[in-house]
Amino acid sequence: MKNKRFAMVLDTRRCIDCKACTVACKAENDVPLGPENYRNWVGEEKLRGKYPNLGQSNTPCQCQHCGNPPCAHVCPTKATEVNSDGIVHVVADKCIGCKYCMTACPYNARYYNEETEAVDKCTFCTQRIYAGRLPACVETCPTKVRVFGDLNDPNSEVSKLLTKYPSRVLKESQGTKPYLIYII
Amino acid sequence: MTLLKHRPSFKLWVGVLAIGVVIGIAGALNVLLNGHSAVYNVTREIPWGILIATYVFLVVSSTGLCLVSSLGHVFGIEKFDFIGKRAIILAILTLLCGFGAIGMELTHPIRMGLYTILSPNFSSPIWWMGTLYGLYLVLLCAELFFLMKGMHKGAFAMGMIGFIAAITAHSNLGAVFGLLEARPYWHGSFLPIYFIVSALVSGGAIVSMIVYFNHKTTGEPMPQKYEDFMGTLGKLQALFLLILVFFVVWKIIPGLYGHPPEKYEATVAVLSGPLAFNFWFFEVMLGLAIPVILLLNKKTRTPYGVMMAGLSSTVGIFFMRYDLVIAGQLVSMREGTADLVGGLLQYSPSVTEIAIVIGAISTCLLLYTIAERLLPLESDH
Repeated sequence: MKNKRFAMVLDTRRCIDCKACTVACKAENDVPLGPENYRNWVGEEKLRGKYPNLGQSNTPCQCQHCGNPPCAHVCPTKATEVNSDGIVHVVADKCIGCKYCMTACPYNARYYNEETEAVDKCTFCTQRIYAGRLPACVETCPTKVRVFGDLNDPNSEVSKLLTKYPSRVLKESQGTKPYLIYII
Repeated sequence: MTLLKHRPSFKLWVGVLAIGVVIGIAGALNVLLNGHSAVYNVTREIPWGILIATYVFLVVSSTGLCLVSSLGHVFGIEKFDFIGKRAIILAILTLLCGFGAIGMELTHPIRMGLYTILSPNFSSPIWWMGTLYGLYLVLLCAELFFLMKGMHKGAFAMGMIGFIAAITAHSNLGAVFGLLEARPYWHGSFLPIYFIVSALVSGGAIVSMIVYFNHKTTGEPMPQKYEDFMGTLGKLQALFLLILVFFVVWKIIPGLYGHPPEKYEATVAVLSGPLAFNFWFFEVMLGLAIPVILLLNKKTRTPYGVMMAGLSSTVGIFFMRYDLVIAGQLVSMREGTADLVGGLLQYSPSVTEIAIVIGAISTCLLLYTIAERLLPLESDH
């Protein structure tokens, strides 16, 4: 069977900065309490315009599941792996806590989890997606900012969205080839 | 100044170091009992703090000692021969204490031992760092063994291979930072080369202190041979320092010119931001300017002056390491990060982190003092 290329397509116009994605993720993935511990977040872009004509966007963000992941290149023990479907994940038992991946990631997508004693990050909720469910952040989003799917399947919703709309990725110049793709 | 001119009391010296070691042990226990996140000030965005800087400082010292001592027993400059044993033994101790400092930063040093062998990643500069420094440690020990036994051929062979290992391991340490494209302040081929140059400065500075103080503790006037050596070392050290000045200047200019994104903000943080005092006072004044002035002036290029220059630049170099490690991480990786001050992230070392730094450096000096007492380190040349 052909491998999948999992990706997430996001429409930032729909984001209302409610942070339900962060809460759902923390609950689903046993992310420890504390302001530094999170796998995903909602970034606030700069305020546009002058009063009373103002605008602001929010950029929901997490691990980009890069096609060329710097974190995996620098890990001394191959604790960071990329699975056959493109998901970048950490094998906790192999992590030595050197935090090199945290300095190498241009998206600050990683944190050190004191409970698992390893660096931790978004896994696209592997425990859910391989059971046919959606990642927790996708399922909970009230305005459907996030669409998750397989880019190797031309009929998937993510493939169709990227055909229909122009899109961008974050920090393209880093050459990381992200699979978190924004259609605005 | 006058304090150092008189013979320092041996008991006081050992006492101060012992207190430093106890402080370090207290810090280490605090980490083991309460966990890293509770007692360290490193964060998600600035994951490498003063312990990594201390590790870099200590292993740069080790490399420098190896390089400078190799001038004698590898490159055949006879004047440098007599420092061999002392330089190599201190190179071993600084390396081990550096490993200690990074070991306290790692959360799983034992897993490291296991998985660097079972699951090596050859594309990781940190994997190479561990491997090359491990090899370098073995070579240093072999070199010391041959030197102690008076087996010059063996010492020459080990010294030669050790020299190559030192250059390889140390330029690779620069690459640990230099290969991170995400960190524009570090990225590029500059750091591997810069690390070698700054190691020479570190090594020369420490050798000047070893020679001066070892002699001082005997309480006799310094023999002509040592005086001559200090004069030569002083001139050499002036050259090393001036090359380092060149590197410092060429680190800054590309960081400012044309305001390259993220690199510019980090460079400004060093020149006029949160790291400015460290930079101007410790790096520039203590690290470079004062030693260069002392060493270029014939009147101050006495054994005492050369030692003072060494002491001053060693203190300055510690801050060079700290500023390098921290500046590279001060610029946030993403938009909309809270808690920015002046557009930059914040880091200052915690009490526990500082305690471990004091412990690492004190342990190194205490072990060296003991080695000096117990081992016959006078050269037979």
